[in-house]
Amino acid sequence: MAKVLMIDPGKCISCRTCELACVFKHDREFRPSAARVNVVQFEKEGISVPLMCLQCETAACLKVCPTGALKKNAATGALEVDDDRCIRCKMCINACPFGNATFDAVKNRVLRCDLCGGDPQCAKFCPGGAITYVEATSGTLAKKRAYAAKFKEALEVAK
Amino acid sequence: MYGWVGQILRINLTNGTIKKEALDQAEARKYLGARGLGTRLWIKEVDPKVEPLSAENNLIFMTGPLTGTLATNGGRYNVVCKAPLTGAMAASNSGGYWGPELKYAGYDGIIFEGKAEKPVYVWINDDQVEIRCAEHLWGKDVIETTDTLRAETDFDAKVACIGPAGENLVKFACIMNDYTRAAGRSGVGAVMGFKNLKAVVVKGSGAVRVADPDGFLEALTKARQMVRSHPVTGTGLGLYGTEILINILDQTGALPVNNFRDSGTFPNADATSGETLAKTYLVRNKGCMGCAIGCGRIVNVPDGPFKGFGEGPEYEAGWSYGADCGVDNLAAIIKANNYCNELGLDPITMGSTIACAMELFEIGAITEKETGRALRFGDAEAIVELTRQTAYREGFGDELAEGSYRLATKYGHPELSMSVKKQELPAYDPRGVQGIGLNYATSNRGGCHVRGYMTSPEVLGIPEKLDNLATEGKAGWTKIFQDLTAAVDSSGICLFLTFAIGAPEVAAQLSTATGVEYTVDDVLKIGERIWNMERLFNLANGFTKDDDTLPPRLLKEPIKVGPLKGAVNKLSEMLPEYYKVRGWDEDGRPTPEKLEELGL
Amino acid sequence: MAGQPLKSLRSWGYKEVSHLKVKFFALLRDITRVKETVDFTGGTVLELLENLCSHYGKRLTEWIFAPPAVGKKRELSGNVIILVNGRAIEHLAGIETPLKQDDEVAIFPRMAGG
Repeated sequence: MAKVLMIDPGKCISCRTCELACVFKHDREFRPSAARVNVVQFEKEGISVPLMCLQCETAACLKVCPTGALKKNAATGALEVDDDRCIRCKMCINACPFGNATFDAVKNRVLRCDLCGGDPQCAKFCPGGAITYVEATSGTLAKKRAYAAKFKEALEVAK
Repeated sequence: MYGWVGQILRINLTNGTIKKEALDQAEARKYLGARGLGTRLWIKEVDPKVEPLSAENNLIFMTGPLTGTLATNGGRYNVVCKAPLTGAMAASNSGGYWGPELKYAGYDGIIFEGKAEKPVYVWINDDQVEIRCAEHLWGKDVIETTDTLRAETDFDAKVACIGPAGENLVKFACIMNDYTRAAGRSGVGAVMGFKNLKAVVVKGSGAVRVADPDGFLEALTKARQMVRSHPVTGTGLGLYGTEILINILDQTGALPVNNFRDSGTFPNADATSGETLAKTYLVRNKGCMGCAIGCGRIVNVPDGPFKGFGEGPEYEAGWSYGADCGVDNLAAIIKANNYCNELGLDPITMGSTIACAMELFEIGAITEKETGRALRFGDAEAIVELTRQTAYREGFGDELAEGSYRLATKYGHPELSMSVKKQELPAYDPRGVQGIGLNYATSNRGGCHVRGYMTSPEVLGIPEKLDNLATEGKAGWTKIFQDLTAAVDSSGICLFLTFAIGAPEVAAQLSTATGVEYTVDDVLKIGERIWNMERLFNLANGFTKDDDTLPPRLLKEPIKVGPLKGAVNKLSEMLPEYYKVRGWDEDGRPTPEKLEELGL
Repeated sequence: MAGQPLKSLRSWGYKEVSHLKVKFFALLRDITRVKETVDFTGGTVLELLENLCSHYGKRLTEWIFAPPAVGKKRELSGNVIILVNGRAIEHLAGIETPLKQDDEVAIFPRMAGG
């Protein structure tokens, strides 16, 4: 069954370890500006949200790519960029409604999450469990359970 | 270079020159970075007798070779200068994201020389560096300054700045970065304020590279696993923060209470504990760059007179405003601590100075004429209001802004300042924890726990339990703790890791990152070299063995209540042995043989 | 009486309770649901801990004791700090430290800070 990256911002401690782990896996150096995951921080509210490509099924980036440089990895389900085919038109970056694809001017390439070939380092190194790589159904069921528990509490109070 | 990025920025604020210089590789190998290398670069260029608040006192921001990497908690940098509070060398350590960002911009550190004529800030965007006008920011607090600067430069830029306390030359003003992280102690913020430097704003798009990526990944993965699986770093600190310590120090009977006058136990300690904080005002925990612990506390007091959102308190602030001022109102402690973050003050010295003023008031040495208010232990409203007044030097705040030593001396009771080398002591009563007393007395920057955290073995049993009341063997332990800490601080990683990892893991990460082979012995030797270098600076600056002491209360007045009732600190039993294990003479001077051994 | 919580005895009107006070901290409070109790007794620290563990169950036992090993005496896990009247038991007689009337025993998970 396909695994997906699940994000739980409630557990994010803003450490940006995911960014460091991501860029080190891909480039073997520490350059967070080239990370494919970003921790978006709202300092005034004390909230941080880690964001990376969500691997859409009918992806806007895939649709606008004029050269067919984006290909789905059958094993992981990740959309990967073929740098040789990519003409750096940046249409995919503009098309993504989430801002989850970026352009790396230093190395002249499109950056997007490739699930590290099936072993995403962000999830592996995340100290708080804010990013996990889990079976799609078990990941969503855990979320459902958490929300169902709130209903349960509300109903118990009502009793 | 690997680990280090290989370049230093030198900015002269008097004439506005900006120079980029190659990092001296030989010095970097010998002193690593941050505290060690920063201090070395200061000493090389500045006369030790310089006035702390003068244009000649260089202000150095320095990262370490592991800063900005995935090493166990490489989020740290140090600020080095001669300290206005103590006259000793200040090396104030801070976390957050600013230090790593400086390296991504291409610099291991910045040396600020001179003094700007008018308020300025520095904007570093990779290799573009500008000195800009900051007159519109003068007077603004840390939050507003940071917001304004990010709007003016880049939303993702990282800001280190001073608040009103630094501008007003409060002797214990901090430099704040990323809103709530502080280079906290000894008054580095006042030096920045004196230089008319409001902020340093950084954005970097470059990389930190390591010499052996596979080896580094292996070393850091092992260290991270140790950190995650250790009960302290993997569970306790994240859930409860450092404030977890309130109860154990209270139960042990070594919690300083009411300016150390009523030490031992604090009747309502649990109301100010990490456990209570977690159940009441805690929103969630937070970490610095690359952190695997998350000891930071995001807190919100939703209503009442102390309403507010902020970060902290950590243990030292929770104690200085709490038990040390006799206050058990956690919301008030949070509010006072928020003021420290927003206005840029060191909460240890601030709380302790208020505690000292409370005792001066209770014995009648000062009255409402000076203070403008009744000032007794337990006054929750006072800790909040006096903190605000101090940052602006308003009313009695102008006197508090000088720290407890100058305050107590002015009113004829220097013995009521609970300080060493004029810097206020942290939250462990040395009468009940003998070794921490030796560390306080010998700390090169004055009263400080994070120079050699002897509380760890003596109270918490890490790495092994030592008897807190015994003096035997404490000299040797203190030396090892002080040396390892100096090396850890200089690597750019967080000291809290050392509850779970030791010198072997530090050495492995340093070696694979830098490509310089560091053994465990090398790491400790570097620490010892840094310690002795700081000591030599202090001696050149007029400090003597007479300054290696504790406030007389801790040597003579026994603890009054609790399990350790009757205890005093027996410093005289430990100090001569300490000099001996350090290879110093009877007057606490490093011998020529020791200096040669260390390459000093 | 060792091995029995005194609560039930008290509900029978038994008044001669031992005044041994046990305090819990941090995560241990989540297990015990109380900050302190006078409901347990024991002639030594070990006896007291065993009584506490038999009442509070597996979670507390895992915090306090090392996994049982065949043919070996019961040992602490190293993950707790235990004070008797403020003194760490390492400097008393370890888990064999005798307990008497009015003693206070404080139990913490291993912790640190700074």
